[in-house]
Amino acid sequence: MHTFAYARPATVAEALAILAEHGPDARVLAGGTDLVIRLRDGSLRPRVVVDIKRIAELGPGIRVADGRLVIAATTVMAEIAADERVRRDFTALAEAAAVVGSVQIRNRATLAGNVCNASPAADTAPSLLVYGAEVVAAGPAGVRRFPVDDLFVRSGVTTLAPAELVTAIELPIPAGRLGAAHARRTRRRGHDLASVTLAVAVDAAGVTRLAYGSVGPRPVLVVDESGVLADAAAPDAATAPAFERLFAAASPSPRSMRAGPEYRLAMLRVLGGRALRTAIARLAGE
Amino acid sequence: MTGARVGASPRRVGGAERVTGGQRYVADIHIPGELHVKLVTLPVARARIGAIDTSAAERVPGVRLIVTAADLPQPVPRFGPQFEDRPVLAVGETKYHGEPVAAVAADTRDAAEEAAGLVRVEHEELPAVFTLAAALDPAAPLVQDPALRPGDPLAGTNVLRVHRVGWGDVDAAAADLVVERRYAFPIVTHFAIEPHACLAAPDGDGIAVWSTIQHPNWLQRILAKLLGLPLAKVRVHAPDPGGGFGGKQHAKYEPLVALMALRADRPVRLVLTLEETFQAVRRAAAEVTVRTGLRADGTLAFQDVAADYLIGAYADIADRVVGKGSYVGAGPYRMPAARIVARSVLSHTVPSTAFRGFGNPQVNWAVESNLDEAALALGIDRLEIRLRNLARKGEAFIPWDTPADGDWAEATRRAADRIGWGTPAAPGRGRGIAVGIKSGPTTGLSYSTVRLLADGSVIVFAGTSDMGQGARTVFAQVAGDELGAPLDAVTVVMGDTAVVPYDQQTSASRSTVLMGNSVLAACREVQAKVRAMAARVHGVDEAAITVEHGVVRLPGRELPIRDVVAAGLGRLGGEVVGNGEMRKDADPGHPLQGAPAFFEFNCTAIEAAVDEETGDVTIVRHVTVSDVGKAINPLQVRMQDEGAAIQGLGHTLMEHYIYDLRGRVRNLGAIDYRIPTSMDLPLELHSEAVENADGPGPYGSKGMSEGALLCVAPAVAAAVRDACGAVIRDLPLSPERVWRALRERDAARAGREDAR
Repeated sequence: MHTFAYARPATVAEALAILAEHGPDARVLAGGTDLVIRLRDGSLRPRVVVDIKRIAELGPGIRVADGRLVIAATTVMAEIAADERVRRDFTALAEAAAVVGSVQIRNRATLAGNVCNASPAADTAPSLLVYGAEVVAAGPAGVRRFPVDDLFVRSGVTTLAPAELVTAIELPIPAGRLGAAHARRTRRRGHDLASVTLAVAVDAAGVTRLAYGSVGPRPVLVVDESGVLADAAAPDAATAPAFERLFAAASPSPRSMRAGPEYRLAMLRVLGGRALRTAIARLAGE
Repeated sequence: MTGARVGASPRRVGGAERVTGGQRYVADIHIPGELHVKLVTLPVARARIGAIDTSAAERVPGVRLIVTAADLPQPVPRFGPQFEDRPVLAVGETKYHGEPVAAVAADTRDAAEEAAGLVRVEHEELPAVFTLAAALDPAAPLVQDPALRPGDPLAGTNVLRVHRVGWGDVDAAAADLVVERRYAFPIVTHFAIEPHACLAAPDGDGIAVWSTIQHPNWLQRILAKLLGLPLAKVRVHAPDPGGGFGGKQHAKYEPLVALMALRADRPVRLVLTLEETFQAVRRAAAEVTVRTGLRADGTLAFQDVAADYLIGAYADIADRVVGKGSYVGAGPYRMPAARIVARSVLSHTVPSTAFRGFGNPQVNWAVESNLDEAALALGIDRLEIRLRNLARKGEAFIPWDTPADGDWAEATRRAADRIGWGTPAAPGRGRGIAVGIKSGPTTGLSYSTVRLLADGSVIVFAGTSDMGQGARTVFAQVAGDELGAPLDAVTVVMGDTAVVPYDQQTSASRSTVLMGNSVLAACREVQAKVRAMAARVHGVDEAAITVEHGVVRLPGRELPIRDVVAAGLGRLGGEVVGNGEMRKDADPGHPLQGAPAFFEFNCTAIEAAVDEETGDVTIVRHVTVSDVGKAINPLQVRMQDEGAAIQGLGHTLMEHYIYDLRGRVRNLGAIDYRIPTSMDLPLELHSEAVENADGPGPYGSKGMSEGALLCVAPAVAAAVRDACGAVIRDLPLSPERVWRALRERDAARAGREDAR
């Protein structure tokens, strides 16, 4: 591993100052489960690594404020997967957080890190998209809040400015009942990177929100407001075209080692259908 | 008759250390003043090496030594267990992705790594072959310099050797049905959890080497020759490896590290990363075409096998793998006629080497799958067709060779019973059954020394490597049993060529049989000396005394061996020393240069469920039954078979190297090369042993631990086919492949509908 400076700011302001000073030569360290791999293989060679774990104002991990669930940037997957509020109101996120990496990784990896890494295969991204999550980012010009859908550009690239720091991910607590589910495809049952990862949420008004990842350069959110997909009793002839429309934006890479495009597209539909049925059943309280 | 310790399952010697971090592996050993080595490789497979500029690397603080081929003795020494074809560093050209062209030694690992990245190697990528088809093309570039094989008519091709074995007249054999299919087996790697590591230090006028090697004496011989030192001046320390599986049998970078240590006049260490290990050891891929002839009643008429193994750029032990692995390719069956032609095909890929199963799983996959194909065509039950053809004990199933040495039908029936063969499987589930056979060691030489100390405790010196298979425990059980010592009073010393007598190797599941017999012989020598001692002390004729299992029987009374020894040794103390030798000489007339000491036979039965939408295979129940003769330690036997079964599930369900078009391994390391985790295990795994005490080892034992891997793939594929009709002849059975096969099944069914 190459030599770099290590900074452990105590405040967000301090962290922002370091980021502003070093620009692209600084990398933020939260869980480090993506960063350390790339430091070791030499594909990232930052001059300074900024550890945000000791910034007190980023805590506590998960709290409720103004009708939103606020998940601090340093909150790890294991905590999210185990949180009662997340499990109740954001089931698909809890399910996704529970399958990221292995136990050891979930004890280190953060939700904010998973999002900022912008892997198309990030397991938590689809659920954040269907729940309409927002990113809270602090920067030299102050704090801004924007939909997570506006964050992703392509693998490893986000719309964050170099001097910006994500301080929290916020999820609006749904007013009405939601049924939701996460599903993924991997090469084995043990921890693995997803070749398809998706989340579905249906609400009582019949709106279906589906988001999928690992089938294109960034995760994609699609919304069906026709009500037909959320209706378990709708005839196949009615649901099939609407269902098919959901996947129009999928464009899996033919270069991937993990699965061929044809298989990914087929699995997108299989998993999409399964997750949708689960979500409908959950909405119905089954 | 055995004493209390043999056949029991005492706690594994060294087991607690292994699981608590207490064991010192080679990578844990540090010598003051040591330098860290990093290998310099190219981002291409085959390339002509031009000028090497080390100036920037030399400027990295802490760098002490950089060697290229030009810095080595000229011509650059070559070595290998079968052919001396592998240079210490690439000479003139690299032959595979990952072959080192230089090496940097520095005070720290980071400095070595940084400097290695700064070594500038001018190179020009050259045409290369990465597949069997490309390597066998008459216009293919040659992997090996023909000058290395003077006089060999194959030297102008990429075929290193052709192995032919057969009997009867395959072409004239009458058959009611002939089934011919082609099967493929992927490149997989051992994935031992302990990294390959080597440490070398000047030692007086010689050298001391610590290595994760399975065969310390063989490494000693290679190094002595290469360095021009007497054997006695090359001391190889071989701490218990953390998994070997064949990948650690033969020297890889030890010669380089030794030369660097002598040149630097300092200790030098190299610990490979997992990625580097992928580029150091792997199993040969194979394409096997099988033509099986049968009578209408399912009786086998002939087996015609053509197996091409994709070996790497240097031979290592791969050609022996091909020859020995294909030798029993006709299967454990009564076979009127057989023809087996196996070719070792060189390619510009990572050198393949020994790997649990030693070339047999590749052919077994094909032959057993083809037998299922025949059973289906004949409408004969897949268990029945095997039972009908299995060689009976004592039958010469290979006409000139060791006859069938076990009740193979018993093992097969046990597996079938356990899986519920003949009862209906639940919807969406299917069953498969397959048998496997592997030749045991064909030659061997194992010396041992057993010292019975004055207090009745025992030290055993045995040069086997305990890489997790539990050899320490087995030898302690044998010696403890024979000499009446409790296991906590037995010490087994291994892994130091300056201390422990010669052992040829730890491979081919040989150690319980060959070293076990050697230890037994050493114990018998100790017992004979104790008998003479008892005769002297008690004034009794030796002929009236027997010594067994720690008890000295004199006319009218019995004494514990330790009492006799204490009395016999007297005030000065001392010890009783016995030496053992187990030799199995080569037989030049035999196709394998020696008949197998035993066969490993296994039957694996699988119940699998298939998710037809995703292609996911769930192993609901996995039964593995091995014929082990006698389980000296039943728990270890079960653990070995469980490990082999799970390792077999790796190449069956998920493992394979993915090469790019330029011969670079794309899935180096753990992220995109997947092995089974605890979550991928069968829902139920049953391991059983058949024990008829009919083996050549101590108490009737046979070698074991490879058998349970041999036929996992055909049994799983058969279960998948039985469950859903998906036919796959190309491993692994990844969900995507199963899904594709199901689409093909549907297309075929639709085609049949249309034809109606």
